[in-house]
Amino acid sequence: MASNPVPDHVPPEMVRDFSLFTSAGMLPTPNGDPHAAVACVHAGPPIFYSPYNTHNGRGTWVITRTRDQRRVLQDAETFSSHRSIFASVLGENWPMIPLELDPPAHGIFRSLLNPLFSPKRVMVLEPVVRERAIALIDRIAASGTSCDVMKDFAFPFTVNIFLGFLGLSDDRLDIFVGWANDLLHGDDVKRPAAARMIVAFIDELAAMRRKEPVADFMTFVVQAEVEGRPLTDEEVRGTGVLLFVAGLDTVAAAIGFDLAYLARNPKDQDLLRSEPDRIGFAAEELLRAYPTVQMIRVATKNIDFEGAPIRKGDYVSCATMIANRDPAEFKCPNTIDLAREDNRHAAFGYGPHRCLGSHLARREIVIGLEEWLARIPGFRIKEGMAPITYGGHVFGIENLILDWS
Amino acid sequence: MRIIVHHATCQGHARCWAQAPDIFKLDDEGYILPGDINVAEGDELLASRGAQACPERALEIDRTAAALESVFIQSRV
Ligand code: HEM
Ligand code: SF4
Repeated sequence: MASNPVPDHVPPEMVRDFSLFTSAGMLPTPNGDPHAAVACVHAGPPIFYSPYNTHNGRGTWVITRTRDQRRVLQDAETFSSHRSIFASVLGENWPMIPLELDPPAHGIFRSLLNPLFSPKRVMVLEPVVRERAIALIDRIAASGTSCDVMKDFAFPFTVNIFLGFLGLSDDRLDIFVGWANDLLHGDDVKRPAAARMIVAFIDELAAMRRKEPVADFMTFVVQAEVEGRPLTDEEVRGTGVLLFVAGLDTVAAAIGFDLAYLARNPKDQDLLRSEPDRIGFAAEELLRAYPTVQMIRVATKNIDFEGAPIRKGDYVSCATMIANRDPAEFKCPNTIDLAREDNRHAAFGYGPHRCLGSHLARREIVIGLEEWLARIPGFRIKEGMAPITYGGHVFGIENLILDWS
Repeated sequence: MRIIVHHATCQGHARCWAQAPDIFKLDDEGYILPGDINVAEGDELLASRGAQACPERALEIDRTAAALESVFIQSRV
């Protein structure tokens, strides 16, 4: 894996052999714990330079302290989100919306979308989400005493809710799971191929909804106006594509990590099963301990940050998995305490790009855990099976074979 | 007690609201309504929990005499 040379302005003593992509525990690892593996950076300085810390081997500054990440993420003027991550896979250049826009354009689209994902709106969606969870888990319970949580529950559940947003039925579910998988883990052939399929799918759906509006997300987007004009085709695409990439793996991975933790910690499992009121609180602690997203910003000007000479154009990484293990912010950060108080974790980011889907994601996770614990008796990791975890841009878990025989 | 709301810092996490929906009111986008919040005496614990839950540090707890007084005045009108 070739990495780009370290830029001249980076002092050699600030370079560290650390990467969310290549360090120990970041590649697919049986029974791995990538979150614990990255926590070790807290023994070091608040900021350092990692020479290989993106998909395509770019170097980034790494901000380790929660307080400093908050500062970076709240200051969009100095730390821009404009990167075209998805489009660059296709050799193109258009932003995912609102993820890769900066204020003030960001705020215009964000205000447009906020009401669709507000806490009140999510309360209305809750019965449908719960119904889906119950249907999937009932089927699993009826068909035996073992399953792969990722394949049989976590992915079908989150993809189904996504399809519901788009007003589509379930018959294409497997195709979507395949695209999402290729996009994240595929090689240099599979990734662009999946990206192209997703774009074509979103474009086609937008065209359909323009012709025949229905009550769904894409219809809302093609009918919406910003600053007195309809959205351009590129804006419609950027918005649709983001919904696809933002909401599938993240929630599925959270459910996977949470159930893996509970499978290995029967006392906590029993506690949540007998006192389900605790699940909401517990889910926050599990979001703190097992967050999945690394945020990257681009410096818009030269700035000295905690002694580091950040130069215009440098990438700055704010990894939620690092912030959430900061001992200055969280007492005993490597201990999982399902009743932890003052848990202002970074799982959904900070600043104007705070996860638009956070309220929905929280409900999906809590409902998923509630219905799972209510329907599946004491479960553990099936003997001889090892869940495979991985790091990277979005942390995840590939398989989780549970057994409750 | 009074909660000083730094409205521009709010990013709509709604963690305050999750703790105490009657004290922390949100707009239709899910962001906190502007204006400081005077907290009634019995609600102080709940209100400070809500303020401490804000990931952006947009809610500041004010326990000065002036804050107490404003609550007192409010409770009489
Ligand atoms: C546990 C699950 C999830 C996690 C951990 C998560 C995490 C994040 C994070 C950290 C960001 C900030 C990115 C940045 O600042 O660059 C973000 C943004 C975003 N997320 Fe999520 N997310 C989750 C689920 C969802 C879901 C279910 C949806 C959609 C329904 C969603 C939609 C979005 C969107 C649209 C943005 C961009 C917001 C903006 O730029 O203003 N997310 N997410
Ligand atoms: S918790 Fe903070 S950021 Fe979230 S709605 Fe309340 S004030 Fe706003």
